[in-house]
Amino acid sequence: MARLELSSVGKAFGSVRCADNLSLAVESGEIVAVFGPSGSGKTVLLRMIAGMFEPDEGDILVGGQSIVGAPPERRGIGMAFQNFALFPHMSARDNIASGLRAKGAGGDIAAKVASISSLLKIGHVLDHRPRELSNGQKQRTALARALIGNPEVLLLDDPLRNVDAKLRYEMRLELPSLLRRGSASVLYVTQDYREAMAIADRIAVLIEGRLVQVARPEEIYAKPASVAVARLFGDPSINLAEVTPVAEHGALFADIAGTRVRLDTGDREPIDLGACWVGVRPDDLVISHAPGDDAIPARVVAVTPMHEKAVLLLRFSDGAEWLAALPSTTTVADADDNVFVRFAAEASLLFDRATGVRIGLPHRRQAA
Amino acid sequence: MEHSSLAGRIFRGVALTLVLVFFMFPIVWIFLMSFQSNEQILRIPPSILFEPTLSNYQALISGQLRTTAGNIDIPFMRNLMNSFVLSSAAVLLALLLGVPAAYAFARFKFKLGETIAFTLLSFRFAPPLLVLLPLSLYYQQLGLSDTYFGIVWVYQLIALPLILWIVRGYFEDISPDIEHAYRLAGHSWREAFTRIAVPLAGPGIAAAGLLSFIFCWNNFVFALILASADKQPVTVGALAFVTASGIQYGQIAAAIVLSVTPTLLLALYAQRYLVEGLSLGAVKG
Amino acid sequence: MGMLELQNVDKVYRSRGKPPVHAVRALDMTVKQGEIVALLGSSGCGKTSTLRMIAGFEDVTSGSIALDKRRIEALPPARRKVAMAFEGYSLYPPLTVRENIAFALKAQQLSRGEVTRRVDAIARLVEIEDILDAYPRAISGGQQQRVSLARALVRDADLYLLDEPMGQLEPQLRAVLRGRIKGLLAERGMTAIFVTHDQTEASALADRIAVMEDGILQQFASEKELKSRPANLFVASFIGEPPMNLLETELARADGGYRLSIGSDMAFHIPGGAIDAVARTMLDEMRHVRVGIRPQKVAVGTGDVRVRVVSNQWLGDQSHVAGECAGRLLIAVTPSKVAARPGDTISFGLAPRHLHIFGADGNCIRHAEVS
Repeated sequence: MARLELSSVGKAFGSVRCADNLSLAVESGEIVAVFGPSGSGKTVLLRMIAGMFEPDEGDILVGGQSIVGAPPERRGIGMAFQNFALFPHMSARDNIASGLRAKGAGGDIAAKVASISSLLKIGHVLDHRPRELSNGQKQRTALARALIGNPEVLLLDDPLRNVDAKLRYEMRLELPSLLRRGSASVLYVTQDYREAMAIADRIAVLIEGRLVQVARPEEIYAKPASVAVARLFGDPSINLAEVTPVAEHGALFADIAGTRVRLDTGDREPIDLGACWVGVRPDDLVISHAPGDDAIPARVVAVTPMHEKAVLLLRFSDGAEWLAALPSTTTVADADDNVFVRFAAEASLLFDRATGVRIGLPHRRQAA
Repeated sequence: MEHSSLAGRIFRGVALTLVLVFFMFPIVWIFLMSFQSNEQILRIPPSILFEPTLSNYQALISGQLRTTAGNIDIPFMRNLMNSFVLSSAAVLLALLLGVPAAYAFARFKFKLGETIAFTLLSFRFAPPLLVLLPLSLYYQQLGLSDTYFGIVWVYQLIALPLILWIVRGYFEDISPDIEHAYRLAGHSWREAFTRIAVPLAGPGIAAAGLLSFIFCWNNFVFALILASADKQPVTVGALAFVTASGIQYGQIAAAIVLSVTPTLLLALYAQRYLVEGLSLGAVKG
Repeated sequence: MGMLELQNVDKVYRSRGKPPVHAVRALDMTVKQGEIVALLGSSGCGKTSTLRMIAGFEDVTSGSIALDKRRIEALPPARRKVAMAFEGYSLYPPLTVRENIAFALKAQQLSRGEVTRRVDAIARLVEIEDILDAYPRAISGGQQQRVSLARALVRDADLYLLDEPMGQLEPQLRAVLRGRIKGLLAERGMTAIFVTHDQTEASALADRIAVMEDGILQQFASEKELKSRPANLFVASFIGEPPMNLLETELARADGGYRLSIGSDMAFHIPGGAIDAVARTMLDEMRHVRVGIRPQKVAVGTGDVRVRVVSNQWLGDQSHVAGECAGRLLIAVTPSKVAARPGDTISFGLAPRHLHIFGADGNCIRHAEVS
């Protein structure tokens, strides 16, 4: 099986750069999620690989061979579309089999269709036309069509976008093993960070046509490359405050809404920094009624339960708003309460205010 | 609104009847006239009571027009046949040229694309007389004057823009992803066009074909100028009923009934398609 | 006395040539002054019809609606003193964002300064200060939705109706805006009803949630109550993300309690003392019951149910582990990372006190104990 490689791919439509110097390799059997806000160029990227547009610059290789310029039907690509794109005038069976028939696969077509459709649990609707299928069945038919030919490269363009929450959840559990079945290189476009984390081996974060970070899901969540990436991962999203950290007594401190809080330096050397963002995830905030020098006083504006958590909207004395996500089993505070907010220094992330890039402090000097 | 008063319902009934009478009356009257002799038609006061006669239809089918000034030969059946041949051939040619062109306009953005598409449509706006004079000169030079091919060619001015714009709307309604999916399954663009795009736009192509058939059938002025008697369609042929000894109303009526029937049946049969086609694919079924 | 009272409201849509559609059936509902209520359900459940009947865009087929003790079901929308935000935003295209919002205040005849002050305040709340002079077509869908919300909330009305108010909001803003709007409604004591198909939104904003299905109000209670005491199978499986695990079991009396078994692989024992007398008499007559347990209550790594791991996904703040046992899929959600890989065998714990029991008619017989 073959590896998919993008090398310095660029594409512009008019003055809009949809792909800017994109380089990415997807190993065979690997699932890479392309994740980013809408309009970041995810779909254009997928369509360049599929051959619907050609890149302006750079090269796209499958198994070491360039596929730029080849017509879509000769690229060995299977693709599932957001709007399913089933052939409306063909039965589900013919939809699924169309690729095999084009290749003249011969007698084993029926057996292959039967096996993939039982895997996707659509064996009972094979004779239906797309308009007679439920959304979930349409989506499974589209997946079966993409998977059946064991393509070298599988492209999935937000395939769960148009199915309801319950089905989306089920598919999130099933998809990884389905996609790994044929050891294709898989690119999976999504706008939902949870879906990306659940399904992918690695996530490629695409913002405004640029790959900002490519890493394993845990790593992106824990060590986002920039403040923009940090804001994309997590729901509710990360809390941010403008600070200018100072190093004192071997530790790093910053002022948030009038309170001096200690920030994380890990095993690194604390040094004075310029204008920064400090970011703390809502899950990492600790809320109590106990005042203290290290706690930021806040008023609870509202409590909004969310996924078995209670999300508190907190307003600091300077008017800034932060969110805290607490396990809903603990009823710590109600709306209008005055509370105190703390977080462990290790939970804080620092970003450069001007560039948004996460700040890695220098290594501690070795003790002589 | 489900709660309408009795008065409202009566008013609606009356209004509908009036509209129906207004539009249907001429058709009914012509139909009745076609079974009357010229004398019955012209008597005063007119009456709807008469003894029906088939003589008008007989005259048309036999090609012998009896007038007070003697018998005149009229090639009505040949005209009818010409109408069929010319309209069908024109539509066929327009479909062959127009469907691929409509696909190109729908799928690809190219330089001057919109301009070309609009220019083609604008042929429908121009009065035919505007182009007829130069055209008849060209035709004489090229030897196309008074040939079937020449008339079919000039009918493209009617059929092609219609087909182009209606079918283009239908192609635009098909998600390009469906064709992309078909190509990724291993088919060339020709196959994607013939097996996906054309079948899916089928209703639109049918509507456009039917509409342009009707428009070609109803055309008068092109054939009047560019064709001689033996190649003229019914619309022009009907002129023969205006004779030296007066106008043969009964035969005209019968001729109208015969020439309208095919298109009327066609229109009734494909009513829904036609409405969709006329709204350029905007109405989805 | 409720602020809004719906009594025995029915809505039937009749169109020629089609069977009538009974969109809302015998709906009784009381909304208290200052309460925020969500109408939650999948599409076609009757929630939007209900909202539109309250707003006055649909006639009630039968029944009555009273707002602040006034009967309103026959009044035209403009005289009902309700403000509404529409799902399709319905902004006036020739007006700027500021004018759109101020337009809602026209009828109140406020001074120019007061209008500006109010518009600015609401604009700050929904973060549209920087686009106040833009026209609707120039702003994104998420921004349009925020303008539409602002236009409804800026008015003084007895009741605020919001149709899918936050579905299109940018994900990064959603949580903050929910908090702010909930804070604003509470601070001013505004009464609001909103329609949504998204239970996350419903639980975040609403004091009480009306779960609808097939035109029938299934349960009307707080989010906590819906989760801990679902009235029936529909509510149990509809509310909660991921949905409740449901298992078909055989019921037998054993050791003064009940034994619930699934084939020969899995069995639970529920002591008789854990079930009240009414439920006991019901259970005594049943042989098959459905058992439900929330994924968040399934213990991972401990317990006596051995499962083969089908998938194990870490989402940054929680793990979702799907395990297969006797051909059934069980989902567990835990806030910590789980080391298991697909194919491994691990233990799941389904403690009897966390089990909901449903009878054959779908109604709940016994709820899990609230921990």
